[in-house]
Amino acid sequence: MAIDKEISEKRERQCSKLIELSKDVVREAFEKFGHEEVGITWTGGKDSTLTLWITRQVCEEKGVPLPKAMIIGEGDEFQEIEEFVETIKKEWDVPLEVCRNEDVLKAANHTLNAPVKVKDLSERNRAELKRIGFDGEEFPFEAESQVGNHLMKTVVFNQFLERNSIKGIIQGLRWDEHPARFNDEYFEHKEMAHLVPEHTRIRPILHFTEKDLWDTYAAFNIPYCVLYEQGYRSLGAKTTTVKDSDIPAWEQDLENTEERGGRRQDKEKAMERMRQLGYM
Amino acid sequence: MKNVILLTLDTLRKDVLGCYGGKGFTPFIDSVQDRCIRFTKAHSPGPYTQAAFPGILTSSYYLEYGRGKMLSEKRALISESLKRAGVTTAGFHSNPYLSAYFGWNRGWDVFYDSMEDEVDDKVPYIKAGEINNKVSTWLSSHIGGIAGYNPFFLWVHYMDVHEPYVPERKYVDMIDSSIRLNEKEMFWLFKDVLLKRDVSDKGVVELLRKLYCAHVREIDDGVREFFAILEKCNVLKDSLIIITSDHGDEFGEHGGLSHDGKMYSELVNVPLIIYEPSREKAEVYDTLVSLLDIPPTIVYLFGLNQVDVFEGCSLLPLEDYPTKGVFGEAVDKHGSTEKGEEKEVHYYCEDDLKIIYRERDDSWELYDLDADPKEINNIVETSSAAEEMKEKVRPRVKRYQG
Repeated sequence: MAIDKEISEKRERQCSKLIELSKDVVREAFEKFGHEEVGITWTGGKDSTLTLWITRQVCEEKGVPLPKAMIIGEGDEFQEIEEFVETIKKEWDVPLEVCRNEDVLKAANHTLNAPVKVKDLSERNRAELKRIGFDGEEFPFEAESQVGNHLMKTVVFNQFLERNSIKGIIQGLRWDEHPARFNDEYFEHKEMAHLVPEHTRIRPILHFTEKDLWDTYAAFNIPYCVLYEQGYRSLGAKTTTVKDSDIPAWEQDLENTEERGGRRQDKEKAMERMRQLGYM
Repeated sequence: MKNVILLTLDTLRKDVLGCYGGKGFTPFIDSVQDRCIRFTKAHSPGPYTQAAFPGILTSSYYLEYGRGKMLSEKRALISESLKRAGVTTAGFHSNPYLSAYFGWNRGWDVFYDSMEDEVDDKVPYIKAGEINNKVSTWLSSHIGGIAGYNPFFLWVHYMDVHEPYVPERKYVDMIDSSIRLNEKEMFWLFKDVLLKRDVSDKGVVELLRKLYCAHVREIDDGVREFFAILEKCNVLKDSLIIITSDHGDEFGEHGGLSHDGKMYSELVNVPLIIYEPSREKAEVYDTLVSLLDIPPTIVYLFGLNQVDVFEGCSLLPLEDYPTKGVFGEAVDKHGSTEKGEEKEVHYYCEDDLKIIYRERDDSWELYDLDADPKEINNIVETSSAAEEMKEKVRPRVKRYQG
């Protein structure tokens, strides 16, 4: 599957320069940490897939295998994403670990919004709940709530780093994706904290705008998940992501509308903070 | 003056600052008063963030333009006017009501609202120290070029005074070292007393007030650090700094806690201080002013044409500031335990008189702030000024439908 869009030669050269900048970041990461101690996060979304594609090119150039990749299974996935991930995993030979907080999934009986009893959880999960100040007896199983987000995403992410002795983790964040990202750097060191291993976050594609990204996909025939063709612009959990439009993401008005308009979690995050401050 | 900085401290009562007669919880803010104009009668247009901030950043009242949580497109954010005029605009805060999701990111070159970051229940926001780090990083890169830097408008908002009151140990000790509560116990007070608005035990209310004061002492250190960053980046000498708060906090003065839809002084009287680096002596200004005056003041300071839809007046130059009354408005149900439909609450203040109207029971209260600063004796039935004061408010009640 490739995007049917004419990219001029000049535009293609511009995209190549952006890719080159990203490759430099990946090369630097490999030099700093050695390719064995670098990991990569992947969601099957457009940002992390581009990042994986770029990383793979650097690996080919250096004759080393792809770094260990992680994908978080939060129990609320689009089938289309799962299929896309499976295809690419085979095609690119991605050493992929699907990271799930099985303990929580089991306690929730794999059912969205089912109540999870804290006493049914493992010691580590209980310690994590304590760490974020949660002292209730149960919570609904929902990956976008604060508790759910922490257990289903942050904890499994930290465990992936620990399990594989990862020193540097590659992520597909972009500056223009969200106003809060403007300050992010290509390399951000995280000190060891309680239950969090010391590591460095590596963000090779920070400088890509959403338009740059889709032009790059078109110019270099990079594969993408079919949901983008159906009008989704930004993919999260299945039940909290809505379609922005019925035309493909790259044909939408990328510069004058919000990329994350279709993600309910921004609203939910705000609501959660208000509740924590004592409102509602 | 090259740059303008607006520093807003959420939930900061006026009367806890030393320079306003408080007990020394704000040594740093007090120490710079020689270079400040201090406004003694500054009023917020609302008793909580949602009702106050349309005034502070858009010079408009809360109940206009429909009052959804979403910022109406019709309101003009100060950042939008400045950005259009070529001023660099940067905002850093951690208040969900002012987040990008609700539309407050319009007009900023840089906007950090912390909504992507993980926080916990005891401190459900990004603290001043971390906000300062982000400001420092941005500021260093903004001023970094060799050709000089573009003038900027910087807005920084700290949440650190806001409940839950779970201050760090060292700040609790500065207020009252006999308080031995651990974090868990402080948090329990928040959930079991403050959230329930339970004022039955005066001792517990006093304890909450002390923990609040510890937060105030803590944020004074945050402000000190902020000034140090400006100094380090060598921009303090070229920046005028407006320091204020969006609203205060109640500790049983009128039967409640926190900041619900009430219009008494503990909630709507706010500190307002303008720091001018070249000023040589303190100035105290006793005229009634409103936080709606902040956006026009900023526009004036950048030498731009006033924005038509702004409803306030520039505070500067002081000699041109008009004598006028100030309004405030909100709905009463916010965060409180009242049931049923939201109802409007209004106030109007002129000279020493303040009138409050509650739509819920169609009631009026009038206070003589000079004789009765605590707003205890309602004189609406006896004062000859009552009718004239009511007339000011009546046209504003339910004026916006839709």
